[in-house]
Amino acid sequence: MLKSEKSLGIIFFPAFDWAISPTHPEREERLLYTQDQLREEGLFDMEGIAEYKPLVADIEDVERVHFCFPEPQSVVTRSHLVSAGGAIRAAQLVMEGERDRSFAIVRPPGHHAMKVVHGSRGFCNINIEAVMIEWIREHYGPKRVAIVDTDCHHGDGTQDIYWHDPDTLFISLHQDGRTLFPGTGFPKDMGGPSALGRTLNIPLPPNTSDEGYLMAVERIVLPILEDFKPDLIINSAGQDNHYSDPITNMNVSAQGYAKLNSMLNPDIAVLEGGYAIQGALPYLNLGICLAMAGADFSHVREPDYTPEKWKQDARTTAYIEQLCDVLPQIYFNPPPFDGSEKSAQGVIAGDRAIRHKDIFYDTDGITEAQTETLYLCDHCRGLLSCESRSSNNPLCLGVEIPQSACPACRKKGYKLIEDAQIKGAYRYVQLINRLDKEYMRYGF
Amino acid sequence: MLLGIDVGGTHTDAVALDLTNDRVDVAASCKVPTDHDNLLASVNAALETILADVNRTRVRQLNLSTTLSTNAIVEGRTEDVGLLVSAGPGIDPHHFRPCRDFHVLDGSIDHRGNEVRALPVSQVQRAVDACRENNIRVFASVGKFSTRNPRHENLMRRTICRCDSDTECENADFVTMGHELGGTLNFPRRLATAYFNCAVWRVYNQFATAVSESLSAMGLGHVRVNMLKADGGTMPLEASRSMPVQSIFSGPAASVMGIVALCDVVHDSVILDIGGTTTDIAVFAGGAPLVERDGIAIGSHPTLVRALKVRSIGVGGDSAITMLGEDVRVGPRRLGPSACMGGTHPTLTDALNMTGDCELGDVNASRRALEQFAAEHTMPAALLAQRAIEAAATAIHKATGELVHDINSKPVYTIHELLEGKRVIPRKVYVVGGPAQALKDHMFQRFKLSTEVPSNFGVANAIGAALTRTTWELELFADTERHVLFIPSLSYRENIPTSYTLDNAREDAVNNLIIHLDKLGVYLEPDKAQVTEASTFNMVKGYDTVGRNIRVKSQVRPGVVRTMAS
Repeated sequence: MLKSEKSLGIIFFPAFDWAISPTHPEREERLLYTQDQLREEGLFDMEGIAEYKPLVADIEDVERVHFCFPEPQSVVTRSHLVSAGGAIRAAQLVMEGERDRSFAIVRPPGHHAMKVVHGSRGFCNINIEAVMIEWIREHYGPKRVAIVDTDCHHGDGTQDIYWHDPDTLFISLHQDGRTLFPGTGFPKDMGGPSALGRTLNIPLPPNTSDEGYLMAVERIVLPILEDFKPDLIINSAGQDNHYSDPITNMNVSAQGYAKLNSMLNPDIAVLEGGYAIQGALPYLNLGICLAMAGADFSHVREPDYTPEKWKQDARTTAYIEQLCDVLPQIYFNPPPFDGSEKSAQGVIAGDRAIRHKDIFYDTDGITEAQTETLYLCDHCRGLLSCESRSSNNPLCLGVEIPQSACPACRKKGYKLIEDAQIKGAYRYVQLINRLDKEYMRYGF
Repeated sequence: MLLGIDVGGTHTDAVALDLTNDRVDVAASCKVPTDHDNLLASVNAALETILADVNRTRVRQLNLSTTLSTNAIVEGRTEDVGLLVSAGPGIDPHHFRPCRDFHVLDGSIDHRGNEVRALPVSQVQRAVDACRENNIRVFASVGKFSTRNPRHENLMRRTICRCDSDTECENADFVTMGHELGGTLNFPRRLATAYFNCAVWRVYNQFATAVSESLSAMGLGHVRVNMLKADGGTMPLEASRSMPVQSIFSGPAASVMGIVALCDVVHDSVILDIGGTTTDIAVFAGGAPLVERDGIAIGSHPTLVRALKVRSIGVGGDSAITMLGEDVRVGPRRLGPSACMGGTHPTLTDALNMTGDCELGDVNASRRALEQFAAEHTMPAALLAQRAIEAAATAIHKATGELVHDINSKPVYTIHELLEGKRVIPRKVYVVGGPAQALKDHMFQRFKLSTEVPSNFGVANAIGAALTRTTWELELFADTERHVLFIPSLSYRENIPTSYTLDNAREDAVNNLIIHLDKLGVYLEPDKAQVTEASTFNMVKGYDTVGRNIRVKSQVRPGVVRTMAS
């Protein structure tokens, strides 16, 4: 009988009764064949592997992370709450020591959902990893967390949420944004002035195969993880780098994904994208599950896989080698933050770091204009405020008092809310007070 | 007149039930000791005893539950099996190797049922030849995803038999094909199930033949014989000959069906069958027994054998009382019979004798054994007896709690199920088995739920066996893009049009179930066939819907033909 080295909890929630639309890539059928494959392989009978049902996230779990306008209920469906609840269950299993590792194979995904939410972007409404991580911090205290996003698309939502957080390391490996949605994720994006180098983007050229992908992980990601010493490693386990994925151009195989996972050694993995639902997902998920459990995955491969066909050319290899040489410096030795007027990363004006963002919600067709202000503070992470207006909502305001807030920032946060109500022209105002665990919204 | 026989570990219980007067009367019942080396003799002895009191010509049916296959496996009296496997990519099938003659071949079928790689005929032939050299006479052919497309299993079978006939074959006595074991997806379980089905095939068939012969000899040649299955249903003897693995672990099912027959269970309930060495715990949801989601494990091998969800713990009337420090424990060991029955070590039954909860055998012997044991541990004997009963009740209560928790935390796959998910919350406890009456109040104290001990609680299992209905289940899988419908357990394939829908599939599943049972000589009222799972998924290529993937499961719900409850 096959045994696993590590105990693994799998939260499998295919949401067989929810879809964006009947023919959308993110639909009911997406995890159907994965389920067939995992069952047929007898994965859930393996000693050490157990299947769990998801929790259902509360609205408060969402409010802890996002500014949802006009309110969370209008941007999340029950399916999103279950998907986030699946991630939370995965975290709970590991945090309580019931399992060594866990993998939330849930849908819909979440890594394109940013701090402010007006609707759905890139099939994502709420960021299920962030909801999970903040749930962990709320229940188990401050934690240093590393998120390694291996989805083929840049994890722009997760990057946005943790832009100013020095305790969260966000590394995204993705197909170069010049060739794929959402068109972002370049090395120049390094995190805000108080979290420089905590965001690291690794844009890989189209047609990168296992070789190049694993090289980037080995030479860039692993040394940084080693140095950061996170309490938890989270894998945003998107699976659309697969050679057969219909909406991307990468050439990674099931073996590549399984090896990636065993190198990364994540405590928790959360499924993100991956739309080759017949030819890839069943094998990828099987490979990842086996790798996470520390079990033999050497026989897992796609039926049509021929390594020679997907071998990357020498130019690609050379290009990735260059990336491996330079990119680690962004973490180990980030250049000082350029907060001048001409910087695209935002400007520093007095004690504030200000960014203007124009965001397009491709799934829902919403446009948003946002001004994000971080009040720089020497004593804590700093107070965050987001002023936002979209084609869905009039001017709104979100204010976040961080978990580690100093008394001055806390006071300033309340002052901002008070001013907004009395003087501001905001239709909706939301307060996230992580220090006192207080989540409030005004305006109906 | 219906007969029921349950061949148990200690006793073989038998009943004859008279159904003529619109109610069920126990016309005769008996308990005879089980002779493990000759189960047929035990069956015959039980039959002779009850037939002494009834008119043989009126006997219509005999339902039999036997530990034969279970024992054969536990005691290693199984036959060598040649196992041919087509697995393809995935987990290395060698991890699941159950026997020596195990041959993994280079074929592969994917989850949609497409043949990815053909099976090399010469390789199959070499594997079969290698088995022959080891004098193998029974074979299993098992493929991954064979429930979607049995092509490889069929090819392996044809090569094994070197013939086209479905029945007769000189080269092999018996071949099990994986897809015939049911439509459930689980390749390692299919492997193990096919293996065990072959391994016990000969010993089971010899027993089946012997039972038929002795029935004829007793003037009962006209009697229809059914074998009990672990899922709380029966199968006709002839059908069971090719599916002997289904008779494994049917013992607990007999007692659970006994409760169904004896009590009018309507609420979520706990069923406790407290025997000599073990207590079997089962749970009913809304009046129906729960079934294991995938199947039971035989040894360390999970299988596809459907079974009632029963948990056994080592606490029974004969369980020895032991002490660990100040802790009084009961079971799981058995150190001979109870003191009141001539044993030396005090047991739970002795404790019950001491407290006056029952009067079994030599009550004074119980008292003496307990006093002696208590003195060795400097504890008053009365307190020891009380603590022992408490320990037994606590162990049963705890195991029940865990079982209910397991049931309630089972994974679900739709938002609807998750949010509207029904939880099982037991409201009643039913207790059967030898010590049932004596432990009734103690169980009530522990569970704080209405506790019932039915009449005839001693032979509830045989009554359950006698009244159990014939059941069958099947899975239907349809793919409208490939225009194919497949029912694996019947090896039934049909072409379907693009317009085929979930409703068509539901109808086809139920009809095929009825037709199949009809072929087995079992009449099924259409309302007894139910659809337990039905789902349909649009399959999309690019942005166009190209077909539907439809899955339907239908079954005859396990149950009894009549109840004895008033």
